[in-house]
Amino acid sequence: MEKLIYTFPASKTVKRPSHVGVVGSGDLEVLVEPNNSNETIVEIRTGITGFQDTWKKVIERFVSQHDISAFITVNDFGATPGVVSIRLAQAVEVSVNDSNDN
Amino acid sequence: MTQMITESLVESLARERAFQLLDKGSAYEILSPFDRLESPHLAAQNIVPQYDDGMIILKGTLNGKPTVVVSIEGNFQGGGIGEVSGAKLAGTLEKVLKECKEGNIIYPVIIYDTGGVRLQEANYGLLSIAEISAAIVELREYVPVVGIIPGKIGSFGGMSLTAGLCSALIMTREGRLGMNGPEVVEQEAGIRELDSRNKQLIWKMIGGAIRKEMGLADIVIEDDVPNFKNAILSIWNGEVELKHRTKNINQYLTLIKSLNIEEKISPEQATDILKGINNVENTDVPTPSELVNSRGRIWFNLLTENKQSISEIPSVLVADTEINGIKARIIAVVPNPESKFYRARKGEVGLLEGWTIAKYVRQAIEEDAHLNEKRLILPVVDVPSQAFGYHEELFGIYLSCSAAVDAYATARLAGHPIVAAVVGNAISGAFLSHGMQANRLISLNDDGVNVHVMSKKSAAIITQRTIEELDIAAKDVPSMAYDIQSFKKLGALYSLIDGVNAEEPSVDDSALVIEAIYSAYEDIKKENARDLSYRLKTEIAVSSGRVASIKVREMIEQQWK
Repeated sequence: MEKLIYTFPASKTVKRPSHVGVVGSGDLEVLVEPNNSNETIVEIRTGITGFQDTWKKVIERFVSQHDISAFITVNDFGATPGVVSIRLAQAVEVSVNDSNDN
Repeated sequence: MTQMITESLVESLARERAFQLLDKGSAYEILSPFDRLESPHLAAQNIVPQYDDGMIILKGTLNGKPTVVVSIEGNFQGGGIGEVSGAKLAGTLEKVLKECKEGNIIYPVIIYDTGGVRLQEANYGLLSIAEISAAIVELREYVPVVGIIPGKIGSFGGMSLTAGLCSALIMTREGRLGMNGPEVVEQEAGIRELDSRNKQLIWKMIGGAIRKEMGLADIVIEDDVPNFKNAILSIWNGEVELKHRTKNINQYLTLIKSLNIEEKISPEQATDILKGINNVENTDVPTPSELVNSRGRIWFNLLTENKQSISEIPSVLVADTEINGIKARIIAVVPNPESKFYRARKGEVGLLEGWTIAKYVRQAIEEDAHLNEKRLILPVVDVPSQAFGYHEELFGIYLSCSAAVDAYATARLAGHPIVAAVVGNAISGAFLSHGMQANRLISLNDDGVNVHVMSKKSAAIITQRTIEELDIAAKDVPSMAYDIQSFKKLGALYSLIDGVNAEEPSVDDSALVIEAIYSAYEDIKKENARDLSYRLKTEIAVSSGRVASIKVREMIEQQWK
């Protein structure tokens, strides 16, 4: 298991916390929690070791598209970069929306 | 032709499933991922945990009635039950029970999607499943406990024993219900016994449709959310008769005794046989010509002073005796090399054994019903495993084990003190069925005493690790180890008896064990609790063995609204 942490400056706040995904084969869970520190902090735990470079690129691309001040935690069970990007985008979408569908 | 759009429950994740069932806007989550109460044992083994540990608890209403849905996430670690996930389910049921006792009826629904015990946490899974079972047996008396097996994984292992205890079961055709998964049966018994890749056969044996036809499930529905809701409501409002299968001991035992398995019975034949369960003529199980010695038999003989067994099944020994002047019923499972159930000849708990244990425990309950002082019940535990076989799965070995669990739990609740004496192997579903429902567990401190959930070879295959890797992991995670000293670290043992020769006990050895039994008996009497809470209160449990189990229960209490 490998632990990775990235921090980027951010300006916009999110409305509410969100949780998407599952730590199952080829998938991951993402938690987004609002913070007021004007930065995006991404903390990742992954069972697949040795892919720091790939993670860095995926996260950099994500923050370039989403300017959110939040604490994001990821538990990864071997998701591909494509799946990671989709899950992150999904989590942000839930976080910036007003209503809860449940 | 118009086509209705359906809303699938099967295709949803566990959390979505729970929200789908409850009235919109009514539900809140207890111990959500944001509480980050994850398994401490997975990270210790370099496995990525999940923040809800794969167990989702939602409280809300269904059709306006207060309801708790506990939903197992099958995509995370195969829905396996570890310490945290197990405590979340057990703790929720215990809380619902408490509310019901105070007159606040809350309806519990369990959504099963699980392979049973999580092998990476092994004995924590066993302890949790015993606690879940105990809670269901007690809760059923206040409110129907509804189990749903929607499908993807199904319900297997120890969790199938808890499914067997539910008041009613709802399944889809995709759902499966069995004790040993097909892959494990093939691994343990060989491909001639069961070819796990023959999916058509598997679903014909243990799929939802056939389980309903066999009378083992109550409702089978098409996968659409409104269907699930209607099925639950039909159970609540009494449209569906509750079958109490685990109490129908005579019918099931008579049927199992009558089976002829010299040639394989097909699933279709099995269904016909099970449909005729009320019209089976009694057959006797022949006494074997030769007795095989085992630790179970040795200690049974010693504790009963060589009394004749009153049991009609040679592989289950039962006798009433006195221990230090206290009336006691001793029960042991022993090998019968001539049993027609060829997968249960070495002392395993199989179809016959589970139902037989249930029969003689229930007999003691009935005989003592009018007494204030109920007799001590003493399971002598020396069980190598449950029986892994084709016919076992076909005829519902899970239910036979549920029946034994139910009987012991019912006896405990009725006020019978139960002390389980572990003298040999105490393994997996066999230990759950015979021993784990006891008020107190005592054990010999001996190399031949092992507590675990699966043979090392099978566990290695299922968790995709080598046996060496498993041994290394077991050093840091005592619940994964097989020896009794490691089991003691979980805090569930009342006493560990040193210096006893387990194979050839002397008179002194016997006296030591009787003293330990008596001490456990007195402790039960002193405490006067009829549940399994003792295991969470010992010094070891509080300081290290069950820290997470205790914390989960405290947090459920805090977040309950």
